[in-house]
Amino acid sequence: MKAAPYARRVWPLAAGAASFIAITALLFGHSTPSLAGFFAMLVKGAFGDGYAFSETLVKATPTLWCALAVAVPAQLGLISIGAEGQMYAGAIGGGGLVLLLPHQSSWVLLPLMLACGAAGGAAWASVAGSLKARFGINETVVSMLQNFIAINLLEYLIHGPWMAPNSGNWPQTAEFPSAAVLPPIVSGLRTHVGLFGAVAAAGVLWFIAGKTRWGLSVKVLMSNPKVAGQAGLNHAAYIVGAMAIGGGLAGLGGIMEASAVQNRLESGFLQGYGISGYLVSWLAGHDFRWIVPMSLVMGAILTTADTLQLSAGLPASSAMILQGVLFACILGWTSYARSRR
Amino acid sequence: MSAGKIAVDMLVSALRSSTPMAFALCGEILGERAGIVNIGIEGEMLVGAATAFAVTVVTGSPWLGLLAGAGAGLVLSCVHGVLCLFCRTNQIASGVAVLAIGAGCSAYYGTPYVGRQINGFSPISIPGLPAALAEVLRSISPTMVIGLVVPPVLAVFLFMTRTGLRWRAVGEAPASARILGINPNTFRWGAILACGFLAGFGGGALSVDYAKGWSEGMTAGRGLVAMGLVVMTRWNPAWTTPVAMIFGAAESLSLSIQSHGVGVSPYLLSLFPYLAPLVILALHAKFSRRQGHMPASLADILKFSA
Repeated sequence: MKAAPYARRVWPLAAGAASFIAITALLFGHSTPSLAGFFAMLVKGAFGDGYAFSETLVKATPTLWCALAVAVPAQLGLISIGAEGQMYAGAIGGGGLVLLLPHQSSWVLLPLMLACGAAGGAAWASVAGSLKARFGINETVVSMLQNFIAINLLEYLIHGPWMAPNSGNWPQTAEFPSAAVLPPIVSGLRTHVGLFGAVAAAGVLWFIAGKTRWGLSVKVLMSNPKVAGQAGLNHAAYIVGAMAIGGGLAGLGGIMEASAVQNRLESGFLQGYGISGYLVSWLAGHDFRWIVPMSLVMGAILTTADTLQLSAGLPASSAMILQGVLFACILGWTSYARSRR
Repeated sequence: MSAGKIAVDMLVSALRSSTPMAFALCGEILGERAGIVNIGIEGEMLVGAATAFAVTVVTGSPWLGLLAGAGAGLVLSCVHGVLCLFCRTNQIASGVAVLAIGAGCSAYYGTPYVGRQINGFSPISIPGLPAALAEVLRSISPTMVIGLVVPPVLAVFLFMTRTGLRWRAVGEAPASARILGINPNTFRWGAILACGFLAGFGGGALSVDYAKGWSEGMTAGRGLVAMGLVVMTRWNPAWTTPVAMIFGAAESLSLSIQSHGVGVSPYLLSLFPYLAPLVILALHAKFSRRQGHMPASLADILKFSA
């Protein structure tokens, strides 16, 4: 007897969540006296009060941008793991503009900064896109190598030409002028308007993918490149375009994080978001609607890891373990269910 | 200092830099020959490096450390095996899960060992050699020797034995292999475990022998570079050493420029080991037949048809 369709979708997720909880309890449960208390602490850390929820949203924002940067190329079957490098490239592009024109009004500065951020990320990602389109070099590897290049490039800039003069040799740029800071949603909390931007971007992308010619072209290219070629679609241009759009979105996320949360560029300030975004996009099946709630879950996990660090004394790396285990559990159970259908 | 001595020194230091990666490269070649792409080798190297270093600190024996590191890589690779072969997950996605778990676990459990000191291997010395040769030998560590021996052995295994033939058959045409009575999954499990073992060993060589220390994320993309460079070896382990030297030479060059106090930012120089493989990959793709010698079953996973 076949199970109802929704049940077939739901039970692997439930099994994945159960395995995740079991493994988490096994790995970290010993840090608190009772398991129930441990999980209560996790939930409270992410959603307990206004501040906790705001922190969850703060962490969900760059994750969402990164997930979009993974999901756009994924519509063409490209696997990009370069969102982190693209974010840094965007932060470098936008941050460079702010450092160049610090005295403009925010009407000039904010749009220009965001445009430069998007352009930086798009240019960065189109390197991987071009190498793929022109030479067939695997975009996954190139985009990951570019992450290391972008990180070191930022290190060079903040240790060298862009180091703030009064920072006492601390590797960071000067603070952004207040005209270049994105406003918070609720004053006093760190959640910023970039969150609305990211959710809106997800909506627009969902519309483009589902309701426009471009979306249809991408679907044809993905399912049957030969037919697409006969219909006159330029595969190479779509590859570069998809990578560049993804990179531009990641770049926006990067410069928004720099502007609203850090107020400057500093060492490794986006560390880990690339991989979080990748996991979110995969767990959402590269579906723009599901990416938004999944980012919220990921934001909660990242905030929770901060709580673990503060109250249970676990190292920051527990966030990475939690993400990896969650990904492995959900991925494993959903693929298993699909393969037995 | 004679020109010959400088050349030998540079060659040895490039070899030293490339050795940890050479093991990972061998592992990835073995895996891809059986149709398994494993982007998680970065995580397996990290776990191997942390475990090897911790065991060396505790026991004092670098050999035990290396073995433990290889074992840790093997254990982590089981995650990849279960996800890819039992659950039939996309291999790249599974690899990223392994990468995240490996990076997280190595950082989490390796924290107490940051900053600890070890002696590493004692230098090789054979009595009765001429002084110049003994000098060179002293700068060569045991893992470098193992790193030179393993690739040809694996090449012989893959191309001259029955098992090797089957191994490759599984990667080229799993369906045909199955008809001939070869169970692809048996070989793929072997490939995944061998890849994990070699990646863990490479990580151990990095922490116990090359760096003589452990720090979070210390492999710095070596596993990923290895994954990219597999194309250059044409999936033949015999080419491992020269190909790994692309990274090794770039890294040792940027380190030696730094140590000579040239006025270039060390952060710019550290771009070099990543730029060099990228540029060479692009040149290689431009001037060679596209993806020549790639095991056919990988095409579905990597979607090379651009």
